[in-house]
Amino acid sequence: MKKVRLNIDGKDVEAKKGMTILEAARDAGIHIPTLCYHEKLAPYGACRFCTVEMSKNGKSRLVTSCVYNVEDGLVIKTDSPRVIKIRKMLVELMLASAPVLSELASQYGVDKPRFKSEVTQCILCGLCVRYCAEVKGANAITFVGRGVNRRIAFVDEVVSTGVCMDCRECFGICPTGKIPRETDGASFEGITVQDVLARTQSR
Amino acid sequence: MARLKSAADLEKARQKILSKRDPTKPCVTICSGTGCHALGSDKVYEALVSEISKNGLRRRVDLRRTGCHGFCERGPIIVIFPDEICYLGVKPEDVPEIISATLSGNRPIDRLLYEDGDGKKIAHEGEIPFYKYQRRMVFGSNRLIDPKNIDDYIALGGYSALGKVLFEMSPEEVLDTVKRANLRGRGGGGFPAGDKWETTRNTPGDIKYVIVNADEGDPGAFMDRSLLEGNPHSVLEGLIIGAYAIGSHEGFVYVRQEYPLAVSNLSLALSQARKYGLLGKNILGSGFDFDVTIHRGAGAFISGESSALMTAIEGMVGEPRPKYIRTAVSGVWERPSNLNNVETWANVPLIINRGADWFTSIGTDGSKGTKIFSLVGKVKNTGLVEVPMGMTLREIIYTIGGGIRQGRKFKAVQTGGPSGGCLPESLIDLPVDFDELTKADSMMGSGGMIVMDEDTCMVDVARYFLHFLADESCGKCVPCRTGLEQMVNILDRICEGEGETGDIELLEEISEVVREASLCALGQTAPNPVLSTTKYFRDEYEAHIEGKRCPAGVCKALISYYIDPDKCTACGICLRDCPVEAISGGKNLVHIIDQDKCTKCSTCFEVCPTRFSAVVKISGEPVPVAPPLGTKVARKKGKQE
Amino acid sequence: MTKGKAKTRSKDLAGEGGLFPESVLSRISDKLGIPISEVSHVVETLGQVAQVAGDTDRIIEEYKGDKSALIQILLGIQRENRWLPSDVLMSVCEKLGVPISRAYRIATFYKAFSLNPQGRHQVSVCMGTACHVRGAPRLLDRVIEAVHIKPGETSLDQRFSLETVNCVGCCALGPVVVIDSDYHSNPAKKELEAVVSACD
Repeated sequence: MKKVRLNIDGKDVEAKKGMTILEAARDAGIHIPTLCYHEKLAPYGACRFCTVEMSKNGKSRLVTSCVYNVEDGLVIKTDSPRVIKIRKMLVELMLASAPVLSELASQYGVDKPRFKSEVTQCILCGLCVRYCAEVKGANAITFVGRGVNRRIAFVDEVVSTGVCMDCRECFGICPTGKIPRETDGASFEGITVQDVLARTQSR
Repeated sequence: MARLKSAADLEKARQKILSKRDPTKPCVTICSGTGCHALGSDKVYEALVSEISKNGLRRRVDLRRTGCHGFCERGPIIVIFPDEICYLGVKPEDVPEIISATLSGNRPIDRLLYEDGDGKKIAHEGEIPFYKYQRRMVFGSNRLIDPKNIDDYIALGGYSALGKVLFEMSPEEVLDTVKRANLRGRGGGGFPAGDKWETTRNTPGDIKYVIVNADEGDPGAFMDRSLLEGNPHSVLEGLIIGAYAIGSHEGFVYVRQEYPLAVSNLSLALSQARKYGLLGKNILGSGFDFDVTIHRGAGAFISGESSALMTAIEGMVGEPRPKYIRTAVSGVWERPSNLNNVETWANVPLIINRGADWFTSIGTDGSKGTKIFSLVGKVKNTGLVEVPMGMTLREIIYTIGGGIRQGRKFKAVQTGGPSGGCLPESLIDLPVDFDELTKADSMMGSGGMIVMDEDTCMVDVARYFLHFLADESCGKCVPCRTGLEQMVNILDRICEGEGETGDIELLEEISEVVREASLCALGQTAPNPVLSTTKYFRDEYEAHIEGKRCPAGVCKALISYYIDPDKCTACGICLRDCPVEAISGGKNLVHIIDQDKCTKCSTCFEVCPTRFSAVVKISGEPVPVAPPLGTKVARKKGKQE
Repeated sequence: MTKGKAKTRSKDLAGEGGLFPESVLSRISDKLGIPISEVSHVVETLGQVAQVAGDTDRIIEEYKGDKSALIQILLGIQRENRWLPSDVLMSVCEKLGVPISRAYRIATFYKAFSLNPQGRHQVSVCMGTACHVRGAPRLLDRVIEAVHIKPGETSLDQRFSLETVNCVGCCALGPVVVIDSDYHSNPAKKELEAVVSACD
């Protein structure tokens, strides 16, 4: 396998061709924070928290490290002021609907949150949806709606077969704990497709 | 007609069609595009059919339903050939006179002609200022052909470019011609089409796709609709030529289901082209195979984004892909896929027929050819205009568009769709091309041009676009979904009169992150309407926030209506029309608006006769105290003082 | 819905192709203490579901059972049936071999789809930019007043569904309201009332 050489946070790093910047950094012991990444799942690029600053041929730009493949000669900064500024705003924005993130927010210096939104305790990272589809092949949970009204929802027709009660693996990977909290470990009432639609459509 | 088996067959077919047509024979054409259709062109057409047959003229007069002429506001439009007499706003009851006076008596009917500002009547379509200063090379055939009849297109030389390409040019030569023409994508970013074609051509793989993006989602833009409805074969011919150059044998047209006429005219065009051997296996006997499938979009602005569109073609929800790889390399089912919009494809046959040098002789240094704009909003002549790149905004809005409606003052023009920007009066002499618009913090986009006058509130416009974008965001990535939500909240607050000092800066702060961190172009450009208005119209934001005043009198929470007791004649119109019964008064009694009941719907303001103008709109100042109920009017109805 | 109209409607249902005789409908109505119009509404919906099942197979056949045509197939069903009942979604997905979650996702993502029964007349007010600057919000107010429902709602008697749309591509005539497939350019209150009352 061809090797690619790049520099991350001042450290020369060797990576396999086809790896993402995130994977290369993790291999080299450099931490890039993520919310929607999971090593068993295809990169999703939704939380944008893994944004890093990349320089190539003297030009610098922001890229999403979980989907950007390594190239020879890249110079990466994982925590430049530009990057930190973005992560700070992202966490402040997410905090409005997921107050459970307050600890993470304070790490980025978000002391006085300025935004309000409906509290769903969900950041729509899609880990549950993707894990259920890609790893379990069950497709018991899905996204419904779009934009501000996008939500996760359990599919009544699948849940009713009992498959979820035997699995519950999404409980553990939910970064905000929404699923274990709202499903009570037993009932999915309240976050099935029909429930969610009834709520979002009446708004 | 039988299947055409060679370029010579095509030319023979064309001669045969022409031999059956007499250019001196009168032909009544009636626009049946969506605009004219909405204004009742079907009924006019029916009247024409029956009057023509009643007068025994069926053999002596041809009747043709054509595509959109562009001057939609003045429809239904009739043009009578060979003299090209143009009638606007035709009603079914005008038809008998058109037959007796114009067709039989060769006399134009004055009241149906265009009248210029000085009251001069203009009979010929091409002389009307709206058309006169345009250069309609892509859009011009619409008025001549029946889009449901392939023979009309062939009669004008249609598919000859395809014949030329298949028999006289190698794919490389076609590619080279398009590259030399410097044809830039008409759908948004203005990326050179030839370069994109080349990328797809050079990417290894047996199966490649070519795609027409007809998901015209920009609100206020309808040129792609009119082209696809009015001249579907020109788009198809361009697509087949592109497929040949790229080495593709399968194509898609992604068209919004909100455009039913475009879908049906295109379906018909495909089946007619197949029958003629212009589509399918062994096109024109050349050995080249290519066919097209129509994919209807189910209503999502984001589907116009290339990776989202391709995901939708695969039958999944049309969300953008997070990959840093171009769709020209890896698109539909991860195969190389070249996507161009309707207008871009329609330019291709022209370039092949007339050459790259001809094409580059039109336009500016960086932007060649023409561009079709949808000139709408507060301009007098609304409709579709095609002009050479580089024409100034002033020429487009004033010379072609006739200036602002109802003598109001120009305030801004919005270009580039929701991701574009609002340009102020100081930029009215800007030459319009891809690069100049970008330099001015707006963009070409697909060609929407929405004119705004002094009665348009720029904060409200920014709010409108942000609502649109927040609604159309797929919601996948955090900055776009949550950032736009918060920007909408702030803009709502400002328009509600609850803006706070620092809101403009907060908007700009969120904008920066949404722009830099969003996954796709929708999010990356979504802050533009805010950034261009805070840049050019900051004083309006400040008026809303600090002065609680909407200078244009649009934002309901910041305006009040009041009846001037000195001007009210107690005519009773506002009282009768007020939907919430907020107005009291009586015979000869001054009418008074109950401010607590008033919903600021503006009905009273609009219905108060201009000769009285008693209802006034105020903003940023307290409502004057109304006289006591029962006060007699000072002025009598109908009497001028 | 007036009582007279409800009656004719239940008669229609009881007649040719109807599921139940009118006497049954009125017995249900009495027993449950709900108006007969509501009962016939439910029965009508059931009738539609039965009807759709047949259409679905034909539409799937049109696309040769191709998985990637899921959106196209759902559009076909939506067009003929005006909404997508969940059992229809289920059967389409089973036949195509795609997870039902995908159908829900599509049906809630795109504007063209509805998971609730829609009115007999579709009223769409254009909120495109050209319409907006020429007073679409005021036209919307007039339309709301005329049909007595808000955007996104369907009237109880299933006469109208009202929605706002982002540009119907008829910008020169803005502001525009589309009722069924007829376009109306900035209709005044009276004109609107006339059009609305002509819808049964």
